[in-house]
Formats: sequence, C-alpha cells, structure tokens
Amino acid sequence: MLETINLSKTFKDKKAVDDVNLYVNKGESVGLLGPNGAGKSTTISMISSLLKPTSGDVLFNGNSIIKNPAEIRRVLGVVPQEIALYEELSAHENLNFFGEIYKISKGDLESRIQEVLEMVGLQHRQKELIKTFSGGMKRRINIAAALLHQPKVLILDEPTVGIDPQSRNHILETVRKLNEQYETSILYTSHYMEEVEQLCDRVYIMDHGSIVASGNKSELLSILSNDDTFHVQLSKRSEKLIDAVRLIKDVRQVDETENGLRIIAKKRSHFLSTLVHGAEKEGVEIIHFQMEIPSLEDVFLHLTGKSLRD
Amino acid sequence: MLAVFKAQLKKDVRKPVTIIVFMVVSILATLIFGNSTFGKPPTVPVFSTEPNGKEIEEKWIHLLKDSEALNFVLTEEEGALEDVASGKSSVAIKLMENDYRIITASNNSIVPFVEQEIHTIFSEEAQLQAVVGEEDTTKIRKVVESYLENPPLQAEVKSVSGGEIPKHDMGTQLLFVFTLFAAMFTIGFKVNGINEDKVNGIWNRLILSPVTKTNMYVGHLLYSFCIGFFQISVVLLLFQYVLKFELGDLRLIMMVAAIYTLSIVSLAMLISGFLRTPEKFNMVFTSFIPMIPVVSGLYMPPGTVSNPILLFIADLFPLKHAAEAMLNITLYNASWNDISLTVAILLLIFVIYMGIGINLVERRRG
Repeated sequence: MLETINLSKTFKDKKAVDDVNLYVNKGESVGLLGPNGAGKSTTISMISSLLKPTSGDVLFNGNSIIKNPAEIRRVLGVVPQEIALYEELSAHENLNFFGEIYKISKGDLESRIQEVLEMVGLQHRQKELIKTFSGGMKRRINIAAALLHQPKVLILDEPTVGIDPQSRNHILETVRKLNEQYETSILYTSHYMEEVEQLCDRVYIMDHGSIVASGNKSELLSILSNDDTFHVQLSKRSEKLIDAVRLIKDVRQVDETENGLRIIAKKRSHFLSTLVHGAEKEGVEIIHFQMEIPSLEDVFLHLTGKSLRD
Repeated sequence: MLAVFKAQLKKDVRKPVTIIVFMVVSILATLIFGNSTFGKPPTVPVFSTEPNGKEIEEKWIHLLKDSEALNFVLTEEEGALEDVASGKSSVAIKLMENDYRIITASNNSIVPFVEQEIHTIFSEEAQLQAVVGEEDTTKIRKVVESYLENPPLQAEVKSVSGGEIPKHDMGTQLLFVFTLFAAMFTIGFKVNGINEDKVNGIWNRLILSPVTKTNMYVGHLLYSFCIGFFQISVVLLLFQYVLKFELGDLRLIMMVAAIYTLSIVSLAMLISGFLRTPEKFNMVFTSFIPMIPVVSGLYMPPGTVSNPILLFIADLFPLKHAAEAMLNITLYNASWNDISLTVAILLLIFVIYMGIGINLVERRRG
C-alpha cells in the first residue's frame, strides 16, 4: 500500500535520512523506532508529502506521491508531534475548523466530530477551550483532528510524548481500535519500546538516518546472539564454585554480581545439574535462579550501542 | 479560505484585547498630544525685577498678550527660573523698562522663535516711542493700528484653488499618524499568525488538506486586512462623529486607509519572510515599527526632517504616503486625482513587498 524506495534527505551537508526502505501493508500497524535525532520525523514528513526527498521515492498503491501528492493526501491522516490546534478555540471549534478544511459536508461534519470525540473519550469536554486541557487531553484532540476525514493511512509522530498514563492508555487503545476495527494502516513512530511492542505488527529500527533492523518481534529478538543469560543468587561467595562453573561446557562467561553470579551460556545448554552439584559440594545454597528474557530494548541496545531514550 | 478566515475571527472574538488596546492607544495619543502639546502655543513666563517692576510688567504684558504664536504669562522671578531649570518652560523673559533678557537652560529650537517674536514687539514700541518722544504711545499706536487696518498696499495670499490657504493642523496630522501607526501593530500581529501556524503544525495540516496554498495565504492575509481596516475605520469614525473632528471627504480617506492597510499587510509579510519564528517576528516588528514615524518626521510639523537619507527611508514605508494623502484630503480638500500618485505608490509597495515576502517564506520552507 505504502512504500519508500531508497528515501534520502540531506540538509546542507548533513544526511538526515539515508536510503530508507520500508513498507506498510493495508490494515497493518508498523512501528518506526529510534532515539531522538534518528531521522524518524524527517522520514514521515517525506512519506506524508510535506517534505521533498533529496533522492528516492514514496509509492502509494504503486504511484509516486512525490509526483502526485494529492492521491495520498486524500486518504492520509497525520498526527504531528506538536499540538497542532488553536489554543483559544474549544475542542469542538477546532474539530469543526479541521472538518471544514477537509470539506466534510455540513450534514456529516457534526456526526463525525461526535464520533471522533467519543473515540478519544473527550465528548464531555468538547465545549472547553484547548488551553484549559491537560497535555494528554490536547494530544487526544490532536489525534481526533487527524481522524475526521476517515483516513485509510494514519501516521502518528510520537503521539504520547510527555503525557499522563491514563491519556497514554487511551491513545494506545484508540490506535489499536482504529487498526483492528477500521483496518486503518498505521505508521507509528516512538521511542517508547513498550508502545511499539504492544501496538505494531512489524517494527523498523532507525538510527543515524538509516534502518538498522526490521521485522516482527521474534525476528528482531533473533538478532540477538545465540546465548541466554542467567542470574543465580547464592547464599555465600565461593571461588571454587565459580571456577567449576567456568569449566562447564557451553558456558561462555561467568561474572560475579552483588549476591551471586551472572552466567552467559549457549542456548539450550545443559549446565544446571552441574551447577547444582557444584553448589552442594561447596556447601553453597542456590536461593534464586532466573533466566533473563531479552526485549526489543536489548535488541536496540545491541544494534545501536545506546538506549532508546538517549 | 473561509474556514481559515473564520478561525482567526473566532480567536479574536474570544480575545479582542489586542485590537481594543491599539484602538484606545491611538485615540488617547491623538487626544493627548494632538490637543495639548502641538495644538496650543507654548507658554513663556515673564517677570520684572526692576524697582518699578509692577509698572513695567503691566506695560509689556498688555502688548505681549497680543501675540498669537506664544502665550506670555506673568510670574514671579523665582517661579519663572524654577520652570526653566526644571524644563517646564524652555525660556523665560526678564522685562526691563525698554529692554528684555531671554533666560534659557539650553539653546533649543524655540529660543530664536521667542527672540524673533519679542524683538518685533519691543522694536515696534521703540519706533512709536521715538515718534512721540516723552509722551504715552497709546494714542499713536491706535492711529497706526487703524491706518494699518486699511493700508495703501495690500497683499492677499490664496491657495491654488482660489480659497484661503488653510493652516497646517498638527492635531489632525497626529490623529492620522497615531491611527495608522497603531493599526500597523494589529496587522503585523495578525500576519504573524501564519508563522504561528507554521511553528505549531497547523500549517502542515492545512497543506495536507484539500485547501490550496493560495487559499491558506488569502485566508490569513484577508483577515489581517479586514481587522486592520476595521480598527482604522472605527477610530476615524469616532473622531469624525463622536469627537467632532473635521476630517473632510471621509469616503476618500477610507479608500486611502484601505490601500494603506493592504500595503502594511505586505510589509508584515516581507518582514515574516526574513524571520523564522513568531517570537523573532514579534521582537523585530515591535522594535522596528516605532522608528518609522520618527524617521518619516511624522510627529513633527512638515518639513522638519530634511535629511535626504531619512526621507528616502521614509519613502520605503507606507505610513508617510498614507498620512500625507489623508492630510491633503482633510486640510486641502484634495481630490482622487490629487492623491492618485500616492495611492499608486502604496499599491506598488503592496505588490512588491507581498511578492518578495511570500517568496522568502516559501523558499525558507523548502
């Protein structure tokens, strides 16, 4: 449905986006993940036809939107990172304004306004001025404004930045509903890993303007090495036990922690019985044993060498 | 376009304070400066320290009071000197039997004027005294005055159209200047709405909608024009019908006001083109605009500013042209033909500044 081909953007000498290739299928929810300055916003500005790429193309249903932006604009909803609303107007007046610019007929406009207000859960506050709203409520109206013309593709640029958990959950629920019930294709940018894990079928990880990895969650997790990490809490420290564990086949690394050991071993290795026997022999009690489950955050760290919120 | 226009209007209906403040400021400034400082002749305190001071004061104040250009008032020496020292009066006059002294704290522009006025009065009295000798000059003065009422040689100065040459009215000049000047701020802040929409993302939403870019600009600029013209119209109508100022052909004045408003919209657009953010616009616009009437010499009587560089700079801005056209309509009954050149200049400013402004704004986006 929506595809970028070798999309690049250079500002003066700085390459903000470098050969980005991504696609969003009909009804699919795709996440674009990356730290601040990774090039996410520039990429979606080009996808939404607001910014001309230096090179490459964006195809919508096989047609270039660089040459003919009108085609995508008709069916595209964009939720910008900023609160793109008139603070001095009420929620209803803002939606009425955006409905008018989308040339929604007067007969349909009021029902559409009520529909989107209900969707974001702010029907009861529609007469109040935007400037009196909390950050989260403003973001919900910001989303509602992008939904008035029933877009087939919705691009959300970090829609949950700096808001309260209640509004955040509401926004995530709204996006999920749009995707599941209305089959709206979603391109969701964020630097909150858990949101992307929760919402998206597939994820693109971006860093320094390039896509560094892509796929569904399990595909991305498989990027991580073939090792598992274990945390063992022991009743006391034993040098002999550490040496014994180091000698176990398939154990790659043993580190001492505050109250035990951190063991990195090859996936599906059978070292547990040797560890238990060794501990018994040295008179050490195993208090707690836990396998570390890798997250997308670890994948990101592995790929970029930095945390998402850096 | 209509949606953009309506949204701006709703914002101002909800928060009309800016427009009201600028309207009130232009009215108050005209009333305060137009009627007091510039409307009335300057006051000059006079006193005498001679032994027969009372007699001298009585003799001269009677003659000095005839002056239309200056308002001479009798004061104690101490009060007069204090007024000059504190700057309340630019000059004071110390009267003597047949002479005077001008007391001033600085050699400002009023001193030669006072000197000329008082010198004429004293010279006249000296001439009459020379004719009558020791006698009182009252009688001979009356004779001379009645003779001069119907002199053998009479010169009459008439305007080009044959009527009397009207006196330049500083109050009316300031009325137009303050009204047009205050409107510049209102218009500028409204045009800055485009920058605000761009920064907060509303402009991008409009670009993605079926509204064309031309309609987006027209919606904003038309609203800025309407609100600016509304402000000027309300102030001028108030002066004409409530405060009873004689403004002359109001329809023609309104036409000039409309064209002036258009050119200010363009000027604001041009400034927008050079500045990236609404905050920068507000900062630069509010610092830059107050200089225009000063450079144009519009707070002073015509002809005061003669520096060719300042005059050239003044010509680049619509304020001077519009104020001059309005004054010509009010004071000299100028017709459409008389002001057509000024109107053409204003329209030229509108076209050039708008063209450059929009191009700069769009280029900056690209």
